[in-house]
Amino acid sequence: MALKKAAKRTEPAGPPQLLWRRDGAECLVTNDFGHYAWLKRKDFDLLLAGRLGEKHPAYAALADKGFIRDRLDFDGLAAKWRSKNAYLNSGPGLHILVLTLRCNHKCLYCQSSAAGVGSKDTDMSAATAKKCVDFAFQSPNPGITIEFQGGEPLLNWEALKAAVLHARAKAKKAGKDLRLALVSNFSLMTEEKAQFLMENEVSICTSLDGPADLHNRNRVFCGGNSHAATVKWLKFFQARHARQVPEYRVFKPSALLTVSRYSLGRHKEIIDEYVKAGLEDIFIRPLAPIGYAKNLWGQIGYDAAAFGKFYLESLDYILKLNRAGVTLREKMASMMLDKIVNSRDPGYLDARCPCGAAIGQVAYNYNGDLYTCDEGRMVGWEGDDAFKIGNVRQDPYRKVMTSGAARACVLSSNLESQPDCARCAYKPYCGVCPVYNYETQGSLWGDMAVNDRCGLFKGTFGALFAMLKKPANEAILKKWVAK
Amino acid sequence: MKKIPVTSVTADAAVYSAEALRLAAFVFSDKAEAVIKPVKGGFQVSFRNEAPGFHPGDYFNEALNQQCRLDLAKKNSKAAGMIATKALLSAAGEAGKKA
Repeated sequence: MALKKAAKRTEPAGPPQLLWRRDGAECLVTNDFGHYAWLKRKDFDLLLAGRLGEKHPAYAALADKGFIRDRLDFDGLAAKWRSKNAYLNSGPGLHILVLTLRCNHKCLYCQSSAAGVGSKDTDMSAATAKKCVDFAFQSPNPGITIEFQGGEPLLNWEALKAAVLHARAKAKKAGKDLRLALVSNFSLMTEEKAQFLMENEVSICTSLDGPADLHNRNRVFCGGNSHAATVKWLKFFQARHARQVPEYRVFKPSALLTVSRYSLGRHKEIIDEYVKAGLEDIFIRPLAPIGYAKNLWGQIGYDAAAFGKFYLESLDYILKLNRAGVTLREKMASMMLDKIVNSRDPGYLDARCPCGAAIGQVAYNYNGDLYTCDEGRMVGWEGDDAFKIGNVRQDPYRKVMTSGAARACVLSSNLESQPDCARCAYKPYCGVCPVYNYETQGSLWGDMAVNDRCGLFKGTFGALFAMLKKPANEAILKKWVAK
Repeated sequence: MKKIPVTSVTADAAVYSAEALRLAAFVFSDKAEAVIKPVKGGFQVSFRNEAPGFHPGDYFNEALNQQCRLDLAKKNSKAAGMIATKALLSAAGEAGKKA
């Protein structure tokens, strides 16, 4: 559609909807279409007053981005909003099957509410696993991911195998795009199991918390050396990825980093360990005081400022490595950048509006109980079923999706209804977590003014926007999300 | 009989609505029991059975948060409702179906 001609007015018109944030002598302005611009304070004042004239050097760029009232390309902007928020049309894409609560590790921060290796009553039966797969396929989403988690899912190999085979057969019939993923500590991996997983195109993800001493301190494994097993199998899957076979596709393995108090100050060693392990992505995840970690917060937790410092130091170091020719991306930053730079939804369920609870993901407990998300399941394991949305054997799909907990999470994570968020400059890229709010502040809505997760996200966005201002960094960061 | 100590604070009706005070009382129900009574120009909020570390100021911060949310809902509820409805109907597989 052609741009509207500027209408003649007697009074200057202010800008259309925009969000802004002061940063020293400049202002960051954003809008719901995902566009952003940096303006000098005096130019920002002109924009607000509707006095930023067509001859102003910033006028054309601001007009293209939907910041000038008389130059709005409604069709183009609406298309942009639709594509950025396409997840509103699709239904749950991520289905997390907790195959067992048993685990042979006793990680300090374990949120997955692990049970002892002997507690077989917390294993999912093969029949329940198949029911879960059937339930997942009822999602209207044309592409679904089934993620196998635990505890340690390899402790329940029979259910894992049954679910994988059933899902692959079902995807063929249903014509859905199916992705299968396994999150494992690798301690029980064998060549036979690995072969089955590769043949069925199951992608593999593990935890790597840094060098051996730090990893093994966080991830206590009585049966051996957790770090050694992790590195050994990472290398195995990398080698198999490098020499693909025509029959199936072998995915590159990935790893998650959970930052405990012991990780603070050791960002260089941790990142070097990832590079040494041949990984090209590092996902720097903060601890959340949810489930088991909540009880140990005094020992292993930290505040948003401490994590923010660690995160910024890590990003700086990664960029330094990138400049030296090393390929490494930080996953959280990549997902945020995909939203900021490309106006694309990277599928990061924690930073959506509304959040991914139920409408983007479902967590399936070992007994078939359904939760809004894995964090909601952890709260359930602590004895509070506020986030339970049904049971796979008893409740029909529609009833689950319209359950009280699902609706409550959608309403409370809608940023348009959150006082601080509704006018925050980072709103177009951000999201809140009702489970986090419930656990830390006593209500699904939370109070963002004093919410640590909000502080953490604001710090991350602040750092990314500041980095994007520097052309050398901007070029590297844009490469992270170039497709 | 031992008298239970009660802390009372008056909330200005120009700032706080009864609904915001009630919502905050639910959020703080595990920390203190809040009794809200209308008085001239506002509400008297009395706290009983206070847990260690409870401070009335925290309760009023939450009440203010709830009040801002209620005020925002008056402006944004239409847009917010459309987004939430769209997300829920799509997830349930009902989007595009006629009623």
